[in-house]
Amino acid sequence: MDPAADAFAPPAAGWTPVSSRLATARRITLALAFVVVAAVGVVLAWTPLPRGWLIGYAVAALSVLVWAWWIIGRRVRSFGFAERDDDLLVVSGVLIRRLVIVPYGRMQMVDLRAGPLDRRLGIATVQLHTAAATTDAAIPGLLPADAAALRDRLAARGEERTSGL
Amino acid sequence: MTQPRRTNPLSPLVQAAPAMPAVALFLIGPGAGLVERSGVPLAVVVVAGAVLGYAVFVGVAWLAWWRRTFWIDADGDLRLDSGLLQRSARRLQLSRLQSVDIVSPFVARLAGLVEVRVEVAGAGDSRILLRYLARAEADELRGHILELARREGEAESAQPDGGGLADPPGPAEVLAAVPARRLLAGLLLRSATAGLLVATVLLLVVTAFTQGPAGILLALVTGGLPILSVVTEFLANYGFRIARVPEGLRIQRGLLSTQSRTIPPDRVHALSIISPLLWRRWDWVRVSVTIAGVEGDDVRPDVLIPVAPRAQALRLIAEVLPDVDVDALAFVSAPAPARWRSPLAWRLLACAITPQVIATRSGRLTRRTSLAPHARVQSVRVTQGPWERSLGLASLHADVAPGPVSLTGRHLAEGQVRPLAQEETDLMRRARLLR
Repeated sequence: MDPAADAFAPPAAGWTPVSSRLATARRITLALAFVVVAAVGVVLAWTPLPRGWLIGYAVAALSVLVWAWWIIGRRVRSFGFAERDDDLLVVSGVLIRRLVIVPYGRMQMVDLRAGPLDRRLGIATVQLHTAAATTDAAIPGLLPADAAALRDRLAARGEERTSGL
Repeated sequence: MTQPRRTNPLSPLVQAAPAMPAVALFLIGPGAGLVERSGVPLAVVVVAGAVLGYAVFVGVAWLAWWRRTFWIDADGDLRLDSGLLQRSARRLQLSRLQSVDIVSPFVARLAGLVEVRVEVAGAGDSRILLRYLARAEADELRGHILELARREGEAESAQPDGGGLADPPGPAEVLAAVPARRLLAGLLLRSATAGLLVATVLLLVVTAFTQGPAGILLALVTGGLPILSVVTEFLANYGFRIARVPEGLRIQRGLLSTQSRTIPPDRVHALSIISPLLWRRWDWVRVSVTIAGVEGDDVRPDVLIPVAPRAQALRLIAEVLPDVDVDALAFVSAPAPARWRSPLAWRLLACAITPQVIATRSGRLTRRTSLAPHARVQSVRVTQGPWERSLGLASLHADVAPGPVSLTGRHLAEGQVRPLAQEETDLMRRARLLR
């Protein structure tokens, strides 16, 4: 496919990627969920279930784990954002790809979020809000200092553009 | 500026009205044991109890009415002091007025009274409900408030061209009215309703042959839901009239309780022209709108016209979106591969961008053309699912304020989507700068 036809092509300045610590955070969450799946497996082993079923369960669970582990890496690498003169671009997604363009003048609020695990690993999420509920512009996996700086820059630009009305 | 005054003295009688059936129901239901023990006939107790309960509630409502006053103060704010024991003083800045509406609930209408709702922009406590005023007084108050709001709004923005004030406050010009028969026919022939009704008939026929009781139950659901929706929509939109007034478009509608809402044209964020399959032989359409407003406002209008000939609907749209010719939109259609993703509707899927608006088209059974002015679009999104990717397609979304309208140009050629998104972003920015 020629590059001009790619709807998700990077802008001139290219995409800024997010930290790979995001993948670590998401894999830890995945591993925690898997503790439950493994516990179910142990319980199943105590029941008089045929061996074959148990093996099937283990194989299915393990392949889901491997696949999710791998897709998390790809998904985190798929995140990118670009600050242009008048708008912010955020790209994400592996299976379903998304690109959001938010002009600075339309931003109503910029949020900075970090859960307990995020804080442990040193990452944060910057989320943009507009008057539309469907605007889906969140940039996860930013280093806290970068995230704070980005938030301040976006807020300042938003104010600049809005006050010029 | 006005003197503090009370609402209509008949208000307590109306406000206490729900107490009568409530007390009667209590005596028939949970209180029945008490009644039996007393040995008095049930009917006597119920009637006496209802009257007595009503009297008590009227008394309480009367005290509240006595302590409730409203006025417009020297700063041009609408004030409401109320409360029996816990006094509250509410103050609305009319320069931030969003809407003044007159609603007449059923019981109030019997007494010839109406409710006035005044809303200003802002979160939380941003409205005053005046229950109840006589019709004439309410109309006069509304005119006064709108006049004040316009004057203050102009003083604040100091526009050289006053516009609104110069308009003569002449009589409202009725732009469209919906006859009851057309409304009923339109509601019955909506795609989902008609489909469910046909399914009900089929189910009943099948049940008659097989005599299975499950079919009856299913028929109750498939038949009951559409009938319920037709009845509620019919009651709500009966006598629908839309008129041009100096403040915008005024919509009046309703059978059991009439509603009067005014839409300022600059609060229309997006609209959809919807034409169900069975309406097309008469060329009827429905127009739904997204109006920006306060959150949790349950009676915000979402329909510009429930059913009307297309030409009439387009004239109404011209009132809120001037300079937009809906029939002359230059649509970019979805390419042939889109048929594999959306086999029925693919020929209609399209997106158009003009200097004023972005428009999208979709739907096979129910066709839908949605429009939003660039100044109202909040952000642009491009999405692509795996299936779309394998066909070289992508979808374009224009995000607008929450409401019944959403704009999605589905399954367009991937090569066209990004340039369209870029064009829309540029137009959005410029549209905002112009305001």
